[in-house]
Amino acid sequence: MSMRLQNTSGEWINRNNKIKFSFEGKDYEGFEGDTISSALWAAGEKVLGRSFKYHRPRGIFTLANHDVNIMVTDGVDTNIRADVVQVKAGMKLQVVNVDGGVMADKKRFLDSISALLPVGFYYKAFHTPRSLFPFWERIIRNAAGLGVVNFNYPRILKKKHYAHYDLLVIGAGPAGLSAALTAAREGLEVLLVDENAKPGGSFAYDNAGNSAHHAQLANMLSEAQSLPNLTVKTNAYAAGYYADHLVPIVDESGITKVRAKAVIVASGAFEQPPVFRNNDLPGVMLGSAAQRLIARYAVKPFLKGVVVTANSYGYRVALDLIASGVEVAAIVDMRAGGETDAIASVVANKGIKIHNGACIYEAVPVSGKLGVKGAIVADYDEASAQADTQKSIQIDCDGIVMCAGWAPAAALLYQAGTGMRYDDQIHQFVPSRLPNGIFAAGKVNGVFGLNQRLQDGARAASDALKYLGYVGNDTTVESFAGSSPSHPYPIVMHPKGKNFVDFDEDISVKDFIHAAQEGFDNIELMKRFTTVGMGPSQGKHSNMNAIRILARIRSLPVNKIGTTTARPFFHPTPIGHLAGRGLHPHRDTPLHQWHAEHGAVFTDVGAWKRPAYYKVDGQTKEQSIQNEAKAVRSAAGIIDVSTLGKIEIHGANAAEFLERFYTGNFKDQRVGRSRYALMLDESGVMVDDGVACRIAENFFYVTASTSNAAAVYREMQRWNQIWGLNVTFINVTGAYGAVNIAGPLARKVLQKITLLDISEDQFLLGAVADTSIGEIKARVIRVGFVSNQAYEIHVPASSVLKLWNLLLDSGSVDGRVKPFGTEAQRLLRLEMGHPLMGHDTDGLTNPFELGADWAINLNKPFFIGKRSLQIIRKRPLLKKLVAFSFKPYFQGPVPCECNLVISKSGQIEGRVTSLSLSPTLQRFIGFAYVSPVNTKLGDVLSIRTDSGQMVEAYVVQSPFIEGD
Amino acid sequence: MPLRLLKYALSKEYKETRFFRENVTPKKSYDAVIIGGGGHGLAAAYYLAKDHGMTDIAVLEKGYLGGGNTGRNTTIVRSNYLTPEGVNFYDASVKIYEGLSEELDINLFYSTRGHFTLAHTESAMRTMRWRAEVNKHVGVDSYVVGPDEISKACPQLDISCSGHAPILGALYHGPGSVARHDAVAWGYARGADRLGVDIFQSTEVTGIDIKGGKVQGVQTSRGYISTPRVLSAVAGFTPRICKMAGIDTPIVIHPLQACVTEPMKPWLDSILVSGSLHVYVSQSSRGELVMGSSLDPYEVHSTRSSLDFVEGLTSHMLDMFPFLSNVKIVRQWGGMADMTPDFSPIMGKTPVEGFYLDAGWGTWGFKATPISGKTMAATIANDMAPDLIKPFRLSRFEEYELTGEKGAASVGH
Amino acid sequence: MKLLTCPINGVRPLSEFVFGGELRDMPEAECSDKEWADYVYNRNGAPGLKKEWWYHSPSGTWFVAERDTLTDNVARTYLYEQEAAK
Repeated sequence: MSMRLQNTSGEWINRNNKIKFSFEGKDYEGFEGDTISSALWAAGEKVLGRSFKYHRPRGIFTLANHDVNIMVTDGVDTNIRADVVQVKAGMKLQVVNVDGGVMADKKRFLDSISALLPVGFYYKAFHTPRSLFPFWERIIRNAAGLGVVNFNYPRILKKKHYAHYDLLVIGAGPAGLSAALTAAREGLEVLLVDENAKPGGSFAYDNAGNSAHHAQLANMLSEAQSLPNLTVKTNAYAAGYYADHLVPIVDESGITKVRAKAVIVASGAFEQPPVFRNNDLPGVMLGSAAQRLIARYAVKPFLKGVVVTANSYGYRVALDLIASGVEVAAIVDMRAGGETDAIASVVANKGIKIHNGACIYEAVPVSGKLGVKGAIVADYDEASAQADTQKSIQIDCDGIVMCAGWAPAAALLYQAGTGMRYDDQIHQFVPSRLPNGIFAAGKVNGVFGLNQRLQDGARAASDALKYLGYVGNDTTVESFAGSSPSHPYPIVMHPKGKNFVDFDEDISVKDFIHAAQEGFDNIELMKRFTTVGMGPSQGKHSNMNAIRILARIRSLPVNKIGTTTARPFFHPTPIGHLAGRGLHPHRDTPLHQWHAEHGAVFTDVGAWKRPAYYKVDGQTKEQSIQNEAKAVRSAAGIIDVSTLGKIEIHGANAAEFLERFYTGNFKDQRVGRSRYALMLDESGVMVDDGVACRIAENFFYVTASTSNAAAVYREMQRWNQIWGLNVTFINVTGAYGAVNIAGPLARKVLQKITLLDISEDQFLLGAVADTSIGEIKARVIRVGFVSNQAYEIHVPASSVLKLWNLLLDSGSVDGRVKPFGTEAQRLLRLEMGHPLMGHDTDGLTNPFELGADWAINLNKPFFIGKRSLQIIRKRPLLKKLVAFSFKPYFQGPVPCECNLVISKSGQIEGRVTSLSLSPTLQRFIGFAYVSPVNTKLGDVLSIRTDSGQMVEAYVVQSPFIEGD
Repeated sequence: MPLRLLKYALSKEYKETRFFRENVTPKKSYDAVIIGGGGHGLAAAYYLAKDHGMTDIAVLEKGYLGGGNTGRNTTIVRSNYLTPEGVNFYDASVKIYEGLSEELDINLFYSTRGHFTLAHTESAMRTMRWRAEVNKHVGVDSYVVGPDEISKACPQLDISCSGHAPILGALYHGPGSVARHDAVAWGYARGADRLGVDIFQSTEVTGIDIKGGKVQGVQTSRGYISTPRVLSAVAGFTPRICKMAGIDTPIVIHPLQACVTEPMKPWLDSILVSGSLHVYVSQSSRGELVMGSSLDPYEVHSTRSSLDFVEGLTSHMLDMFPFLSNVKIVRQWGGMADMTPDFSPIMGKTPVEGFYLDAGWGTWGFKATPISGKTMAATIANDMAPDLIKPFRLSRFEEYELTGEKGAASVGH
Repeated sequence: MKLLTCPINGVRPLSEFVFGGELRDMPEAECSDKEWADYVYNRNGAPGLKKEWWYHSPSGTWFVAERDTLTDNVARTYLYEQEAAK
């Protein structure tokens, strides 16, 4: 039957737009603005989901984004929260985590065997014998989880925005609205956010049968609209608080990262359920859920109901129920003295029976626990939490509302570092110590009356204004009078249990008692053992009662129990919202396009993409690499080395700086010459290497390896902060590109296009000169890394492609200049006997292990790492890099890089770091670490190949070849 | 249903007893005091009692049991390290773990799921090969696999990682497991308690009393306890305790963060780690994806959360699993990690006689819980570190004999 | 994300900065091997106010931050040379 009410003022639904959808295979009709739950409830459906552990039927409970037992799937998305997600036309909804539909769920039997599954049962079984655990684990994993993930769900990245405000106000209820208006009137840039579709919070739904105050709300909202410096954002929640007042605001479209100078948290309070047997049946709901159903969606919660309460709020809810046409069968007030406020007599005057000092001992289920048909009401002893069942009565009803108190929605306050204390007068945690720039107002601050909340909002705004250097008005908040909004212990013991505390995880009172009995009697251990608060609602309706129960068990005041830590997120937040920053910084060289067009297969080197080799049709990768290398040895090859780090060092102390920064000598370096530059860290570990070119007396041009360029530049700057030498650094890595031309024809090819005399006796290994190539200003360095005849040509980045083409053209006369990639480069430098940093070294290699003693001058007064090398040199060397090869006609399986060298005693002696087939020698050559006693020419290395077979190699002379 | 659960249905009363006694007042003296009631400290207490007959022991925990990194890590257990000493050590841990549920009679949900360390670059592939070779040598099941084998084990994984970082292969490690972290602490606590160890929660050590280079006792929030032997097993707080003992170490504290999704029906059977994307992920037996990333980049002694972390992590998760766009993160949290220069722990004796260190656990402490407990117990009982942990001695730094784990530096898990 | 104040460029988001480790005095070259190893490896790891190197990447500025490693609050930032000149 339809539970929809006649038009209600302020309702959120649009009756002109009907929404057709289906649920569990049956067709329904709701209105635009309905949530899935409200549309179904309006249609008279009560079983909207099943609980996670026992598969008990569940209906509307909070209608506040923590009805986590009512999660549905639309076939595309899963774990859709029906209580807050708006229903859309054509939705075909199914309940998650049921086997055979929500009504016929085959797993419902679990409720009847719940005695077998006490708290923490899974720690106590299934592990003996060990061999059976995988069997049980499969069953447990099948039962786990909620919805089924759709592996075809599209990759959606939501937008990220950044915004700065003077003041962020979280929650647009009475306190938040009042705060935002007060601050905005003084000229602050204010953002007011609320997770609901419309602002107002309880202002708009907590009516007590009389909506006169709505006029005031309307005035405030229209003033808000008129203030250009006040932005109101609805359907948006503050997901967490992060350092320096960063608060991500999440809505459907994405995340706005708000940085505010001050934050007012006016997030209200979560209503907490009293705990009695069967308090989870469909039809049993929180008072605030009933009010929201009526006011927002014009849905009658039930026909005839009982209100169980422990505060004046329950009476307000009763009046709203009456106004909506619900027959209120009784008010059950858990307090011995009942309600002292005048509202009690208003309700009584309507002929409603009020049972003071009473409780609902249990809710009486209809068959299959699909709903409630009555409430057993009994006298209640607050001290013992026991019901006196001698004189209990059953009141027939199809619904129960619960109004026993509140817990502050204080997650963001906790995350900001707020100290909270338990207030014994209102039985609630309230802020006791707020961090700088953080303010609290309204229910979260322990203030409940409507007028007081409005005042408290203005007071918080005034405090924020003062904090920001404005003159705030002193606002007083009328002091609290009347009964406590929360009951100190709204628990009703029941020998048969099923009095639920945590609805996510089906945890009832006895579970806490048993957990404490087993020693899990502090709040953190209890949380972990019982899993209270660990479900999707993160304890919003359960943590407070858990704390109360534990305090009672331990006979301690609630303040001594404390709370668990509130972590982000306030509501679960989608991955597609959080993700999105492009975290793949990658850089292309000026020649990238050319490489791509010529078959380059790229490899990642640091942030750069470099051609590993150029794929040639009909050739394997290995053949392509061999051919590229052969071209270099027989004619000439060119490689894009634009990715090298390039740093200019200018100043009178440039040489002195290099002497301190690198291991070698630079003061005696002549202008027009380059030298190897080896960089260590302070522990003597090799960090980077490159070439230092002296361009002028006071100007060096230094290269660094591709992946370390930024770090090397940074370290240069840092060290010189300490040394204070007269030098300046310019990182020209991106400004210049470079090409290396290598091979016996390299000189000829290059000479044709430059006026610089690069003849063998004029331009020796290590020579550097600035010149022009064609129109291009270029710096040419004679290097020896991959070939005896090689020239590294550095030019402005914009001219690299031109240079590249010039070299290819110049070589085309001989027809034999070929591009080569990093794979061939690695092979060629191996033939030349050069270890490669990062390839033949690791994060702990020192230069003695590499045999780089020649590059180090320990007689210098200082260089980074020198003092450590002096220590290391006194200690026995543990391993050493050697060049190795195999006997002629070697037939065994060829080892791979990273295969191990095994000592005679069967221990790991070292490993192969480089290994390639030398096209020049037509045999495999490599580098390996071996024991220092095993480094003489001809010494044998036993290498274990992939197959496990041992092969023998021999230490040989390096470089492997004489040159080309 | 296992018969063990029947007793709960058949008995009117709940007959379970406390896992650990409620100790309030410590004795005036103990044979040994263990600082830190996490997995490591409790395991050390358990093995001291069980293997060495030392039962006059107090475990002092300033918060609650397992509340430090034991309860904050992402519970991956593996032994596919890079150095033989690392592999041997963690392999010994895996072997104990495999029988630990039975030994402690608590279901640790020790679940062997297989562990893939994904490689997205050639250099990462080299490191995988290197690790595989060392693992093979030591006898640990670990080998390099190609994309096809990864896809077979995890068909949902986008091997191209949305085109950003195609997976070239992985190091596969069959014994890779996850476990219920809290239960490990509780199981050891119960085991130790039953052998006579006194466990004190909410008991903070405020000073270490040293005379003539020898430990005399500890000052605590519950008074002075005299003892000749003190073990510090307080990853995340090691520098504070070491300061009390006047010992310098290389340890620097960096936060390490993690997060979980809402539960969903289990679909991810394997444990996946990507060094390049800074992601490790497994799906718990509750159905949540448990995810972590690399360390925060600078020193903070705090378990605060950062938005950067979860933005970066989810970005990379989407690269691997594009269909997770609307799956929700429920909670993020942080721990404090003891970082060492060579990515290996610091274990054993110290310059102060009777002061022992079980520290430097970086991001790899949970997996070592059983073996660190066992070896530290032996160290305390014999005043000599067993061979297995000698490579991890504090003095290795001044001896310039660091372990080589840093060679494979990427995500530590 | 936290904010940090570069002495040259003002308040910027932390993502623009690189942490450079604690600012410590190097012992004299004549120190003992043990003293040197202590300098290279050991750290004052206990929480407290520390002087640290921070680098503002976009502008290439190194500076010193005095930061409480317990609270992550930065007391002040300044250029190394400013303080060294005093």
